[in-house]
Amino acid sequence: MTATKIIAPLRKLNRRNVFMFLALLGPGIITANVDNDAGGITTYSLAGAQFGLSLLWIMLPTTVALVVVQEMCARMGAVTGKGLSDLIRESFGVKITFYVMIALLLTNLGNTVSEFAGIAASMELFGISKYMSVPLGAVVVWLLIVKGSYRIVEKVFLVACLVYIAYPVAAFMSGPDWGVVLKASVVPDFKVTPDAVTMMIGIVGTTIAPWMQFYQQASVVEKGITKENYAFSRLDVIVGCFMAIVVAFFIVVACAATIFKAGIRIETAADAALALTPLVGRYATTLFAIGLFNASLFAACVLPLSTSYYICEGLGWELGVGKDFREAPQFFWLFTIIIAVSAGIILLPGAPLIAIMFISQVVNGAVLPFVLIIMLMLINDKRLMGDYVNKATFNIIAWATVVIVMGLTVVMTLDIIFPGFIARLMGN
Amino acid sequence: MNQPDSGIFLSAVLDRPVISLSGREIGKLWDVAMSPGEPLPLVKHLLVRKAGKVRRVPWADIALFNPVVVSLKGELEGAGGVPELEDEVLMRRDILDKQIVDVDGARVVRVNDLKLMMVLDDLCLAAVDVGFRGVLRRLGYLKAWDFLGGVLHNPLARKEIDWLFVQPLGANLSRLTLTVTRDKLSDLHPADLAHIISQLPHQNISAVLNSLDMDVAGEALGEMEPEDSSRVLSQLDSSHAADVLEEMPPDEAADVLAELSDEKAQELLSHMDPEDAEKVQELLEHEDDSAGGLMNNEYLFVAPDATVDDAMTQVRLLAAEIDNIYYVYVVDEGEQLFGVLSLKRLLLASGETPVAEIMSRNPKSVHVDSALDEVFELVVQYKLAAVPVLEEDGRMAGIVSADDIMEHFLPFAQRWKQYKALRKF
Repeated sequence: MTATKIIAPLRKLNRRNVFMFLALLGPGIITANVDNDAGGITTYSLAGAQFGLSLLWIMLPTTVALVVVQEMCARMGAVTGKGLSDLIRESFGVKITFYVMIALLLTNLGNTVSEFAGIAASMELFGISKYMSVPLGAVVVWLLIVKGSYRIVEKVFLVACLVYIAYPVAAFMSGPDWGVVLKASVVPDFKVTPDAVTMMIGIVGTTIAPWMQFYQQASVVEKGITKENYAFSRLDVIVGCFMAIVVAFFIVVACAATIFKAGIRIETAADAALALTPLVGRYATTLFAIGLFNASLFAACVLPLSTSYYICEGLGWELGVGKDFREAPQFFWLFTIIIAVSAGIILLPGAPLIAIMFISQVVNGAVLPFVLIIMLMLINDKRLMGDYVNKATFNIIAWATVVIVMGLTVVMTLDIIFPGFIARLMGN
Repeated sequence: MNQPDSGIFLSAVLDRPVISLSGREIGKLWDVAMSPGEPLPLVKHLLVRKAGKVRRVPWADIALFNPVVVSLKGELEGAGGVPELEDEVLMRRDILDKQIVDVDGARVVRVNDLKLMMVLDDLCLAAVDVGFRGVLRRLGYLKAWDFLGGVLHNPLARKEIDWLFVQPLGANLSRLTLTVTRDKLSDLHPADLAHIISQLPHQNISAVLNSLDMDVAGEALGEMEPEDSSRVLSQLDSSHAADVLEEMPPDEAADVLAELSDEKAQELLSHMDPEDAEKVQELLEHEDDSAGGLMNNEYLFVAPDATVDDAMTQVRLLAAEIDNIYYVYVVDEGEQLFGVLSLKRLLLASGETPVAEIMSRNPKSVHVDSALDEVFELVVQYKLAAVPVLEEDGRMAGIVSADDIMEHFLPFAQRWKQYKALRKF
């Protein structure tokens, strides 16, 4: 007995335990970092560049909503031990699951297109034409999924994420009036224009993307987290969300302080890279390109893979990268097609990369309320969650998010159909 | 009642109107309640829903039951009884869209549709549809798809599993199967069982393990990767988990316990039989990457002054508990290793021969701290089925089987696992 106790701490230091510790670097942190993908960086950059600091106040409520939503998914995963698409299937039946899967496929297709746009845009900053970088990128992504070890890819990505530190530093170096910044973080002061409404939906959509809920829950289940060790998961979600929002916040501030001030309109990634000039001067473009490329590449691996995963899970097809084409044909075809179509769209001549990256996030925002409604129904089901149903505060926050985002989407859609609708609404 | 031979799918009748003899609609078919039957479960009641209220109709009162019409023999009298009981099995609530174990294919699948068939006067649950056809049928797109399939000469295959090969999950549902068919899971090969268990959702794990015999459960867990089996064990209560651990060979139990936190491991060890716990703890003390970390401390042994007969008696006594019975080690009271006998030699020698005469002296061995490469080389060079492991003072600590060392080194470890399973005798 005593020998074991003495040996125990030594055992803890061996190779396997260190790996396990790294492996436990949680789903929350990964999910949140993938949040700052091509679509994310673009949306936040545009927000800062086009609206200055006037939309900064939206970050705080969005963060709160993000933490609430991701925590709900982690909790559902820990308590039920099943993924989100499984729960939807078991509680709502195959019809609803089918339509949710279609919606998920379409939004994720949009997101994947945006990732390839990111790859194209970042490589263009190095002078590499998109006709070379995108097909190559598609092949690399496909190989990484099929041949690569997901764990290693994950770790490499996380290390490369350190590049984002450039943004907070750039924000500080651009020397904005911090009093103004702090005030703008809490006090809304903006004109309600169609662009502003669209941007708000985009910010929400890129921060709380629907695929993140599925991913968070699936990761929690895969790590084998149960209601007993769930507290660790909750911490992981909060830390992850906090990290993501910090980066997003400073992207907006940095862009506001440089690009907005200079009155430049962001058309290409090169324009967006200008936000980093106070920090690194000439190297701004390089740094930005590296960050964008890293984020886009990893997200381009994660999105098709996880989308295929959830769809196959929901519809009962075989899945898993351990299998081959014959054993799990639908799984393989799904992500191959998603990659191929996304890359193909980017290769169309004259594809407006920045616009694509932005619109896909707006679509995320529009679809989000529906996923949230389903989640709220599941998480308040006592038979499913037992004592872990939502407390009142969580319900209020989640429902408020649903109502607000849906409201914004309706307003935006009406404005698209009847131009000038928002102006009339505001009494202009 | 006239019913088509090929059976009715639940999705075809669910939510269809139910009419009484006079043609009055009494509601929509909401669910179907079942009771245990031999060999297949029988339909006992239909649940009919109208304006939010659910009523029961006994099967005996049904005249027609098909996708076109569901009708009663007479009129619906009275309140129709209690609508839903908690411990009753309903097709839509408990089986449709839920997961079940396909015992034949050794995997966990989801039910897309249920197939009912008439057997004499009873309607039985004959099979479940787990394929994409079931999904399409539920969505109403099956006819269109079949048409397309016919045009393209690429029909979508049926994927139905006979209910006899289905092991449902969930406490209620196991009552549907009677004794004869309940042991379906126990007949599975441990590797298949391990595969199924690793796919089960948390909540069903302890119920399924409970239904298995301890030794079957232990064998199955031994086939799983330690990460997965440690997760499974943490779903069970400590005494149950300890029982399962006792049934596993000590080296596998040690691997599993190494994956758990120290406190949890100590707790489980304290619930185990002290002898078994001691064996496992001896193994836990060694470094993972050494011979001591991979070895099994249960092996066949015999005293130096024994005869072949004594050795065979010993083998018969211990072989049930021991994994590796290829060799019998000749070991004295001080646990010093003198020699080794292969089972083949034992079988060929006559009973009174002393083992000292036929044993191989100076058997190749390694130390508890030896690197696994050394063990591997010995196995390959001398074609050993197992290599004895000695302590510093020469006492025998355990053996590393060729299976285990191969699994450690070969990149095709998966394939080796399958091969090892084939060789189990």
